[in-house]
Amino acid sequence: MVSLLESQNHDGGWPYQRGGPSWTEPTAYALLAVIAQGPVGEPVERGLRWLCAAQLQDGGWPPQPAIGQSAWVTAVAALLGPAALGGDAYRRAIRWIVRQTGADTNMLSRVRQFLTGGPQSDTGWPWYPGTSAWVTPTALSMLALRKVARSAESPQIAARLDMGAAYLLRHTCADGGWNHGASRTLGYGARSYPETTGVALLALSGNRSPEIRQACRWAQAQLPGCRSSEAQSWLRLGLRAHGQLPPDAPLPVLTPRTIQNTALAMLASAAGRNPFLE
Amino acid sequence: MAGLNRREFLAGSAVTLAGCSRRRAGPPALVSIVRRPDYTQELYGDLRRVLAEHRLHVRGKRVLLKPNLVEFEPDSPINTHPVLVHAALEAFRELGAEVTIGEGPGHRRNTLDMAEAAGYFETIPRFEEIFTDLNLDRVAEIRLAHPHSRLRSVYLAQAALSCDLLVSMPKMKTHHWVGATLSMKNLFGIVPGGVYGWPKNILHWAGIPECVADLYRALPRHFAIVDGIVGMEGNGPIQGTAKRAGVVVAGRDLAAVDASCCQIMSIDPAKIEYLKLAVGDVEELVGSIHQIGESVQSVRTRFELMPEWQEIAERRA
Repeated sequence: MVSLLESQNHDGGWPYQRGGPSWTEPTAYALLAVIAQGPVGEPVERGLRWLCAAQLQDGGWPPQPAIGQSAWVTAVAALLGPAALGGDAYRRAIRWIVRQTGADTNMLSRVRQFLTGGPQSDTGWPWYPGTSAWVTPTALSMLALRKVARSAESPQIAARLDMGAAYLLRHTCADGGWNHGASRTLGYGARSYPETTGVALLALSGNRSPEIRQACRWAQAQLPGCRSSEAQSWLRLGLRAHGQLPPDAPLPVLTPRTIQNTALAMLASAAGRNPFLE
Repeated sequence: MAGLNRREFLAGSAVTLAGCSRRRAGPPALVSIVRRPDYTQELYGDLRRVLAEHRLHVRGKRVLLKPNLVEFEPDSPINTHPVLVHAALEAFRELGAEVTIGEGPGHRRNTLDMAEAAGYFETIPRFEEIFTDLNLDRVAEIRLAHPHSRLRSVYLAQAALSCDLLVSMPKMKTHHWVGATLSMKNLFGIVPGGVYGWPKNILHWAGIPECVADLYRALPRHFAIVDGIVGMEGNGPIQGTAKRAGVVVAGRDLAAVDASCCQIMSIDPAKIEYLKLAVGDVEELVGSIHQIGESVQSVRTRFELMPEWQEIAERRA
């Protein structure tokens, strides 16, 4: 916690690496982690001011204020919820997220999409507008929308959550987990990554599909040999979301190498809680 | 290794004076080919000699070494070997350069963790202090003049833009989308994942070979050192198998270096799309290359290609 607060920039935001410029993603994760620890203080207020000032007119957030394009980090910022961001800023962010779909390189799908006027039934979210859907932005966007769905019923949001889940379940690798989203390339199966498997499991909390059991088994097998703090955090959060985190699992001690990984490690360590699903 | 003759000296000097590493009509492009069967201490001397051959004036200059880090698999020939990177670091430092290392992997975002797993922390003293994760670095938007791709501008890592010399240090690998991945394709690592994500899918949508050619043109102050000691064949750049080619290939002109690597891999460089886009007449480029050290013929080996890429195999009479 001290390390996280000490790395806050004077402008209120957080960098990826101490001393660097403020970015949206580490700022949002740092705020989530600090807020989860207890009462809101001055660093949080400054952080939220930086974040709200960075929001663009279209409701989304750019990765960094110097970039004039809303992108995937909007979902991370939206995880902070209306109490932190303010009702109007939050609603605009959610509307931006709902509007985003992955573009499809397949010509037949594109023609079908053009004729029906809507997204495919199983499309996820892209990292950057105008590109394909991938596992991580899909999972993060689902987590942001699930927060809304818990407090208000919206058929549109429910439909997008179903589409996101369908996308994730369609993109599992043969070994049971998820990689970035290309489970097969030119007919060859690709291997899963622990970090993407963890975040996908988290986004699919409550889903009872057979794929989930297989993914949990794969994730459990990865935990002891995990070589990245980020991967370990997502695996813990994902497995805990399904009640599958072994209580006495001996976990290697891994150093978080970026600010957002420090924040993620704090969020993953919240005993008995899963701040992403509250 | 053969010493420099007058022709090589004049060619190298002309390129130096022009201050431009891109191939141009006139002097031959110098490409060093060093036979080195393993990652041994001899590499340190090899790289000192290579830099001397190319007469790089880097005293007081900022040099960024850009290896290729892809996956957490230290036993797989997937990442540029840390001993080669350390040898380059030492060689440039001896010339008086201020050397840093930077990389922005395309699929995995835990770059420093991958570097540790690949042996960089163990091999390179104080690695973390001189390393920049190019995915998370400061960025600047670059307008692309007459782009081949659909991109009109692109954000790039500041560390790559502000250095005086960008040294692309790829692994010699086959690639399931572009045939071969070498020093030019390695430039994808300066496109920030923090902006575009993992993978950097915007480059796929804009055209992979086209983006390779655009980045090559956008970054004129470069040098290449290719790790071909143990490369990767088959389903590269991730799932292929080890191929011991036993060479290090280096030069100022990334296109000339990559064309030479293709020949060493028994791939026809004229069939590599990004080379065609970048230089136009690849055969003319190949004809203009002057090899220092080993000849292509003496180190040529056959890299297995996926069935989809059989047509790029070099047809030899």
